[in-house]
Amino acid sequence: MSQAGVKKVRYRMGKLERKNTLVAYSFLAPNFIGFAVFTLVPVICAIALSLFEWNGGDISKMKFVGLDNYATIFATKKVAEKGLGYFFTRADLGIALKNTVYYTVITVPMTIVCALALALLLNKIKGAVFFRTVFFFPYVSSMVAICVCWSFMLMKDGPINQLIMALGIDFNKGWTADSTMAIWSIILVSVWRNMGYYMVLYLAALQGIPRELMEAATVDGANKWQQFLHVTLPQLKPTTFFVSVMMVISCFKIYDVVAIMTDGGPGRATKMLVTYIYDEAFVKVRYGQASAISMVLLVIVLLVTIIQFSSEKKFSSD
Amino acid sequence: MKKMLSVLLAAIMMVSLLAVPALAEDQVLTVVTWDATTTPYLIAQKEAFEAANPGIKIEYVDVASQDYAVKTTTMLEGGDTSDVFMIKEIDNLINWQAQGFAAPLADYVSGYDMSGFVGTEVNYAVDGVQYAIPFRSDFWVLFYNKDLFDAAGEAYPTNDMTWDQYAELAKKMTDKEKGIYGTHYHTWLSAVANWAVCDGVNTLADKNYDDLLYFYKLYQDLEDNGACMSYADLKASGLHYSAAFANGNVAMMPMGYWYVSTLIGYNKEGTCNFNWGIVAVPHLEGVAAGSSFGNLTGAMINAKSEQKDLAWKYISWLGGEEGSLATASTGARPAWVSEGVAACMSSVEGFPSDDNSKAALLPAAVSMEWPVAEKVSDIKTIVNEEHSLIMAREITPEEGVQEMNERVAELFE
Repeated sequence: MSQAGVKKVRYRMGKLERKNTLVAYSFLAPNFIGFAVFTLVPVICAIALSLFEWNGGDISKMKFVGLDNYATIFATKKVAEKGLGYFFTRADLGIALKNTVYYTVITVPMTIVCALALALLLNKIKGAVFFRTVFFFPYVSSMVAICVCWSFMLMKDGPINQLIMALGIDFNKGWTADSTMAIWSIILVSVWRNMGYYMVLYLAALQGIPRELMEAATVDGANKWQQFLHVTLPQLKPTTFFVSVMMVISCFKIYDVVAIMTDGGPGRATKMLVTYIYDEAFVKVRYGQASAISMVLLVIVLLVTIIQFSSEKKFSSD
Repeated sequence: MKKMLSVLLAAIMMVSLLAVPALAEDQVLTVVTWDATTTPYLIAQKEAFEAANPGIKIEYVDVASQDYAVKTTTMLEGGDTSDVFMIKEIDNLINWQAQGFAAPLADYVSGYDMSGFVGTEVNYAVDGVQYAIPFRSDFWVLFYNKDLFDAAGEAYPTNDMTWDQYAELAKKMTDKEKGIYGTHYHTWLSAVANWAVCDGVNTLADKNYDDLLYFYKLYQDLEDNGACMSYADLKASGLHYSAAFANGNVAMMPMGYWYVSTLIGYNKEGTCNFNWGIVAVPHLEGVAAGSSFGNLTGAMINAKSEQKDLAWKYISWLGGEEGSLATASTGARPAWVSEGVAACMSSVEGFPSDDNSKAALLPAAVSMEWPVAEKVSDIKTIVNEEHSLIMAREITPEEGVQEMNERVAELFE
């Protein structure tokens, strides 16, 4: 076939089709413009800013420093001298990273287990609607109010400690003022607040499990536990996948609970990546360095998401 | 009829056009500050300035005090054109100057008498150029509850106590059965260990924190003896020092001078009802009695302000004798030192009438709580982090001080 022949068969949109495409784009445009202005451009700016030294104000005072900001936050000089142990025990970024990962690794499974247990309990009992509302309530309450109330409950001689001591365990410490318990107080509040929301997601998924499957399992002689293990749980995999992705990302971005309850303390016991970014950017006014830390956060969240999505097939196929 | 109406409407329009400039004749100066509605001296300053300068109105932009530095920096960053920004901590101004937000005052101060600031104004100068004018200078004093001392039959604290004598007295005044604490320490570093800088030699930026050790040990000894509330409880309950002392079960409390005006206010409105007094903070052996540390509060002109001359008129008034008298009339301590101001401070209704309290108004020496120094904001973070660990007894004072020394040294490697 000649060149001219190829040109002739090239696909051209019809008038109606072109119109429809334009309509579709016009519907997408508001969202995309919003995304571009408020997300894409700032992210690109932050990437650029992480290569500069800038204390705000006069833009002419921005100084290109290459990867110096990264070298500072990773304490490369000291790490080369004293080994990786130094990074995780003394450098601010290492400690923030360690705390954030610790918090995420505990909070995500704990929330999933609690949310699933609640959903199973409330799936078929009487008055389920009432209890669903009760457990969903923390999610719509003010974060500040929640944190202040929990701070009081976790005080020395507070109700939580009284409860623990009533069980015969000798424990009476102010949770938020103790460096081992402080992070647990944050985990506790996060789990308590979020489980109601994820419970609703699980409830919806539970409603979607076909009754025939359960009936078939019963006919085959499966008991309740076997039904749960071999029918319910596999059917909930897509929901669990979605919940875990959402939770991991939100856990890495933890800020509010920490800011209100412990402010990163005592010492650096609850210093998280985002509180560290906030301190660098708005307290010490070092935007370049703060941007570099947020790039670290971006890369971590991106990596975690890629890993999770690449294992999605495994999750939902069997 | 229609014609009449249109003529009438036209006439109304003309009149309103004429009236607008007449109304707008008042010049409005916007001043960014914190707690504008509850701070007595801000109210007094505004009233006095407007009375002395008819045609100029002060409009406060109120920012929550705990977020002041962050919020104001964001405002300036966003191109805010408010005329005057008050300065809460010295390093705020140093940052703002570096960012180009503070208008240099070199031309203005050349004919301005700054002798009354007794040298404190240099903290607001960068490379010899003045960027702000101080109007308040707070230093720390020891507050005590006279009624509790009378009830216990103990002599009042004096202006020349040493820290050991103070600790002794605090233990004596403690009565666990009645729930009375000998003293009260707020959770801040400044309330517990900042005393090491009172000698005028040490500073918190000098990279050696061994001299804080004595004060941490003194504090822990008092806490162990039940002579003060525990840090962990204060931290968890968030009890504010103003309420802690006003409750009436605390015999002594080292605190900034600003608390005088709060206490006067509390006594007036009936929030608390007891006799109190102030004396100089205790001192170490070898350091002059009456040595204290403190902080400056001042005002700067926004580089983006369109009425800089007017703004200068205001801040120069604020720092000078007249503004200082307005500040002092509420019990606050102005940066300007003069006999007139001192007399005004002690004559405020509600100020304790004993001689010791009056004498405490004139400290022997005042060091800066935090000096202007390289990397001071990083040092602040480190020292405060270790402070919170020592106070929560996670680590011993020795370990904490060693950590401070090592971590601060690492900053400069």
